[in-house]
Amino acid sequence: MSGPVPSLDRLPGEPRYWYAGLAVLLVAWPLLFGAFWARIGLGALMWIGLAQSWNMIGGYAGYLDFGHGAYFGIGAFAAAVAMAQFGYPFLVGFGLAILVSTVVAYLVAVPTLRLTGAYFAIATWAFAESIKQAALVTGITGGTFGLSLPRSPETFIGVPVPFEIAETFFYYAMLVLCLATMALTYYLFERHEFGYRVKALRDDQDAAESLGIDTTRVKRQVYVLSCVVAAVFGSVHAWYIVYVHPNDVLAPIITDRMVIMALLGGLGTLTGPIAGGLLVFLLERLSSVFLGSTTFYLPLIGILIMVTVLFAPSGIIGILRGEVDRDDVRKNVKELGEKFDLL
Amino acid sequence: MTDDILRTTDLTKRFGALTANDEISISVERGEIRGIIGPNGSGKTTFFNTVTGFYQPDGGSVHFDGEEVTGWEPYRLARRGLGRTFQIVSPFKNMTVRQNMLAVQTDDGRSREEKRDRAEEILEFLEIDHIADNEARGMSGGQQKLLELGRVLMLDPELVMLDEPAAGVNPALELRIMDHIHELNDEGTTFVVIEHDMHVMKTLADSVSVFDSGSHIAQGDFEEVSQDDAVREAYLGGTTAEDDEVPI
Ligand SMILES: Nc1ncnc2c1ncn2[C@@H]1O[C@H](COP(=O)(O)OP(=O)(O)OP(=O)(O)O)[C@@H](O)[C@H]1O
Ligand SMILES: [Mg+2]
Repeated sequence: MSGPVPSLDRLPGEPRYWYAGLAVLLVAWPLLFGAFWARIGLGALMWIGLAQSWNMIGGYAGYLDFGHGAYFGIGAFAAAVAMAQFGYPFLVGFGLAILVSTVVAYLVAVPTLRLTGAYFAIATWAFAESIKQAALVTGITGGTFGLSLPRSPETFIGVPVPFEIAETFFYYAMLVLCLATMALTYYLFERHEFGYRVKALRDDQDAAESLGIDTTRVKRQVYVLSCVVAAVFGSVHAWYIVYVHPNDVLAPIITDRMVIMALLGGLGTLTGPIAGGLLVFLLERLSSVFLGSTTFYLPLIGILIMVTVLFAPSGIIGILRGEVDRDDVRKNVKELGEKFDLL
Repeated sequence: MTDDILRTTDLTKRFGALTANDEISISVERGEIRGIIGPNGSGKTTFFNTVTGFYQPDGGSVHFDGEEVTGWEPYRLARRGLGRTFQIVSPFKNMTVRQNMLAVQTDDGRSREEKRDRAEEILEFLEIDHIADNEARGMSGGQQKLLELGRVLMLDPELVMLDEPAAGVNPALELRIMDHIHELNDEGTTFVVIEHDMHVMKTLADSVSVFDSGSHIAQGDFEEVSQDDAVREAYLGGTTAEDDEVPI
């Protein structure tokens, strides 16, 4: 009678060997293709993870967090401060990133999650902006000079490790974090009843509340979790790029990218941020590497977003699943036409 | 002393200058089906919202199942056994019917398996088990009403408050919904039901409370209430028609 709870976002179950092949490729990647492609790979893994972290609060819970990038920066600075200012190994910085982001996210969650829609978006955006300004004037974060992180073999866990802290190491670090993020998302949001509660409050908060769901608590849990995940990636990123500055790790573009990736891929799905993250990251990185342009991809992304919102609101994943409804598309186009007096 | 499952005392709710609920004192006996009638805007939905914690009252108190629950958060009341539905159907649109059921949270220590079995049972009882894996967004209005009833039952409620459970539903489905309410009531669930249709009220409710302009103006069985002068006043605007019932 009570089979497994069907999930909204089922992983394609078969063929299994497809997963095995993917696993082998992911593990062998830096060994097969060298440092340059390891950098591309670790960047992609990080952005997929970040897009998923935004998707937790923005997609599953439906709270458009436009300050999410602040937690990436908070994680980066937590690691940087621990290592550069206090001489602790990275592991301490990593722990500090989790601790600080948890506390800050909770303090931000209490007032801002009372807001919804545009008000929540503006409040979180303002929060991120103030964090950036604070980092620019605070001594411990290096102010406008930023901070440089050490990378010798003993800076990982305090005693020297027998491998080089370089691209391959960071590739595997990002791989582990990215896979952990995906597993956590799958378990919590697609398999566990917690995910139903989150989706319930997204669809109708009053109804959710009337059915025993403590919506205030659930929202806070999702927000804090999503922020901590972003901070964890930030801490590894800081160590990887060796130098952190508020204008880099606290730049608004970091939030923008996460939003775009999740939106393009498909909000509130497990696989959406993977597809969207990969596509946007590769477009951006490869166009800058091979075409020597760092802005070429921007209009392309703009067009992609317009097309997505109009024709496939459920994102790339929706298209792949054949969920695009012709009537919906017609309706969207008609509404847009009416809005701009085109039809 | 009677065994009241719900008792409000001078419950008051204001919106600015408007007193939407004016010192409402109502007792609902355990095991009954209580109807609430009243013209549009008379404060019926506001009463539901104030009792179930969606609005903070400006005065008065609410007792549920022997405990004062005034000002409790809605989710706490729900877990305590007070279920409700909304006048406007509110299914979780992007979830399947079954997921809608499983989203409901109780603190009765049921295992996941027990919860799933209970969901299947309820879906079968309401005869919507064949669409358990459909997304709620695609359901008809009537099916959505059934789903709402089903979700509330997942709370194993002592008391269920339904805000116009048959509004906008075809007559056949309306009958089905009423049958379900009777059946659940026979098994011990108490109901408070807002309903405009007097035919429905007549056959459904053991007793009726009448609201007018934010006040509770009459209470009794359907016949008593429909003979009441104040009720006729509220419905007929003071005419002295000779009919012995409120207009049907
Ligand atoms: N949130 C609110 N803010 C301001 N006024 C409100 C609010 N909710 C209800 N009201 C007002 O309170 C009065 C009672 O409304 P309520 O919805 O309780 O009536 P009702 O008896 O349920 O009517 P109906 O039969 O049309 O559903 C109305 O005048 C309404 O406009
Ligand atoms: Mg109403």
